[in-house]
Amino acid sequence: MTKQRAAALFLVVALSSSSAALFSLPVQAQQTDRAKHIGGKFMCMCSCNQVLTQCNHVGCTVSTSMLKELDTAVARGDSETEITSAFVQEFGTKVYAEPPKSGLSLLAWSLPTIYLLLGTLLVIFVIWRWRSRAALPAVAGGAAGISPQDLENARRRVAQETED
Amino acid sequence: MDVFGSFALLLAFLCAAYAFVGGIAAILTRHPLLVKSARQAGIATCGLIFLATASLVYLFFSDSYWVSYVVSHSNRDLSNFYKIAALWSGQEGSLLFWSFLLAVYVFSVLLVYRNKNGELMPYVGVVLAGVQIFFLTLNNFVASPFKVLAAPAANGALEIFTRADGNGLTPLLQYPEMVIHPPNLYSGYTGFTIPFAFALGALLARYPGEKWIHLTRKWTMIAWCFQTMGILLGAHWAYAVLGWGGYWGWDPVENASLLPWLTGTAFLHSVMMQEKRGMMKVWNVWLVFTTFMLCILGTLLTRSGVVSSVHAFAQSSIGNYFVGFLVLVFAVCFVAYVKNRDYLKSENQLDSMISRESSFLFNNLILLVSCIAVLSGTLFPVFSEWFSGSRISVGAPFFNKVNIPIGLLLLFLTGVGPLLAWRKTSTDSLKRNFGWPLLLGLFTGVVVFVFGVRDFFSLVCLMLCVFVTTTIGMEFFRGARVIRSRSGASFLASAVDLTMRNTRRYGGYIVHMGMVLIFVGLAGAAFNRDAQKDMQPGSTLDIGRYRLLLQGFDSKAEKNYTSERMIVEVWRDNKPLMMLYPERRFFQTNEQSGTMVAIYSTLREDLYVVYAGQNPDTQAPVIHAYLNPLVKWIWLGGLVVVLGTLVTLLPNRRAVLVLAGAPERSAAQQPQSLAPSVALREGHD
Repeated sequence: MTKQRAAALFLVVALSSSSAALFSLPVQAQQTDRAKHIGGKFMCMCSCNQVLTQCNHVGCTVSTSMLKELDTAVARGDSETEITSAFVQEFGTKVYAEPPKSGLSLLAWSLPTIYLLLGTLLVIFVIWRWRSRAALPAVAGGAAGISPQDLENARRRVAQETED
Repeated sequence: MDVFGSFALLLAFLCAAYAFVGGIAAILTRHPLLVKSARQAGIATCGLIFLATASLVYLFFSDSYWVSYVVSHSNRDLSNFYKIAALWSGQEGSLLFWSFLLAVYVFSVLLVYRNKNGELMPYVGVVLAGVQIFFLTLNNFVASPFKVLAAPAANGALEIFTRADGNGLTPLLQYPEMVIHPPNLYSGYTGFTIPFAFALGALLARYPGEKWIHLTRKWTMIAWCFQTMGILLGAHWAYAVLGWGGYWGWDPVENASLLPWLTGTAFLHSVMMQEKRGMMKVWNVWLVFTTFMLCILGTLLTRSGVVSSVHAFAQSSIGNYFVGFLVLVFAVCFVAYVKNRDYLKSENQLDSMISRESSFLFNNLILLVSCIAVLSGTLFPVFSEWFSGSRISVGAPFFNKVNIPIGLLLLFLTGVGPLLAWRKTSTDSLKRNFGWPLLLGLFTGVVVFVFGVRDFFSLVCLMLCVFVTTTIGMEFFRGARVIRSRSGASFLASAVDLTMRNTRRYGGYIVHMGMVLIFVGLAGAAFNRDAQKDMQPGSTLDIGRYRLLLQGFDSKAEKNYTSERMIVEVWRDNKPLMMLYPERRFFQTNEQSGTMVAIYSTLREDLYVVYAGQNPDTQAPVIHAYLNPLVKWIWLGGLVVVLGTLVTLLPNRRAVLVLAGAPERSAAQQPQSLAPSVALREGHD
């Protein structure tokens, strides 16, 4: 192993270890973890378009009251489904931070995957088609039959394609 | 000065109309005088827009409170620094600012190419004038920033009156980054007009070859760089001002800025296929068209109130004009394409699935999928309301779930693509290029996993970051080693030399490295934590290895606001570290409040402290602290991206071989074979 490779390996090990140490810090247990988890699934209704637990507008009374309601429900031991139903009943479907995975909203979830799958198929098809064009037999004649003009064109093309 | 500004805008509109009509006449008649006069009209349009913008700036600086826009967005106590930002803080001014930036680009293009590309430039001039006409129509007849305050007098006639003071600038905008973020973002949006104009112009003119691509590459890079800076500065502003602990909330306005960036990035990659192999001509033209249309769509979303956003301007009917313009642009592009599509015929051929070309195709696919996913998510609330009658929100959790895997795929390709050869990559080459990066990436994954990282996406992200960094590092290392062996220079000097010899390629690698740093920062978001507590002087709040001790409060009265600060002593690992002063500001003029977050930022993590107001039940002051790992890497990555983009804009420095001691000869006289005593001299091409 050359010195440079050893140095590179050392650098990666050092980086990996430091980032691992960073993430191994003990996570503080918080009483409101469940409330935070559920609150992360709702939007604040003050029109800020932010997730409920992230709305931090100074003086936003909407998020304060919504969070209070959420804390009360969590303290009461309501299930997530019950809390969600209560919020949807109170604020409408606008309260969802992410569309529910049913009905029309399922479309929102499935569209990106559909785009990706269809796009991948399309790209594979395009590559296959372009490859089959390239695989067509070359013009008969061989090297001896290549004119200086063609050779010059080919050289220019190679230079262009290998420049970057 | 308001009359002067209005008059300048009106004249600008007329000049743009002449540039458009005269330009078409010049194309049809090919009369040199018409060509020249249309170009001069284009330049005059820009000059007049500069004058109109200067007038509005002057009205702000001179506290002209008879102008409605100045009253709404400024006040006497507002510092001059923020009076500049007031220019684009409202609908009318920001549209004028848009016209101003577009005029800067148009002026530069018309000047740079005044004696070049005679066949193409009249078409380009017409397209640019067409876009300017649209914005000048808005500036003059829909959202004029020069409207004055007037009330009916006793005789029934309207009389201009002056207010004693203005309403002031929104507190959220009174932050230094707001003076640089919008100009950057707008420069990105408007900058994409130039490649659009060249692409459409070339299609209409059936301009031969790939020259329009060569001509617009730098303009596209400049626009892309501004867009990148604008997005990142906006993210930093959101982080430092909004006080919710994050930098990207997938707000519709944020998404709107991301859409043209994604397609613009796709274009910057796929354009190489056309340059090198003459492939994907149709695709490239439509990518440019789409990027421009997404810029207009983004503006529509921001200004029409179609989607709700904290960043949006007031709801207005101006969106209808943008919809109309968007439809018109699409129609023109479509007709131009249908009429001239034979001009875009290309010899698309691929030799192998594992080639640079294939990687570009997949790169474009992923960028486009991401763009469509963001767009459909942004518009889904509108569509859901149309179809089902109830609006379903699509917030950050949805976008994160959808875009994180796509982003990781893109990161993977960032590492793979540049090391694949054009046409075909051999198995040996694959082993040689990807053996070490794969090994180091996997090793990183194991180490990070052993140390407790269990978040799947963060784990994969960190592995890919090491993978990509190694591939880029190897590219620099190999090239620099060759130069070093020849020149004997230091390794660093050789790497710089290497970069300067092919700025586009190695600048691109630097941009990729910047993206890697950004991804490292994004990976940290999975480990964010926060704590909130009612505080009294002497109270403490623990978060991670930090302890926050509230020492007390102070307040101060500034010219434009009064502020209340928390005085917080920060301890780390039981040792005193520093003081932080999160504050709340109250702006008397518009009776609004704002937060100023206090951040202690290191490469490892940000300690982010917000004075969150008072607990409504106890009236006790509340402190909200966040510990956000690796955020600083995002901003550093942004700087590296900008640096890399600047490098790609530099001309290549190439080695010029001359015979030592020999007299200079003409190119024809140069010997075919090189003597052993050649010396290397550097020059610019």
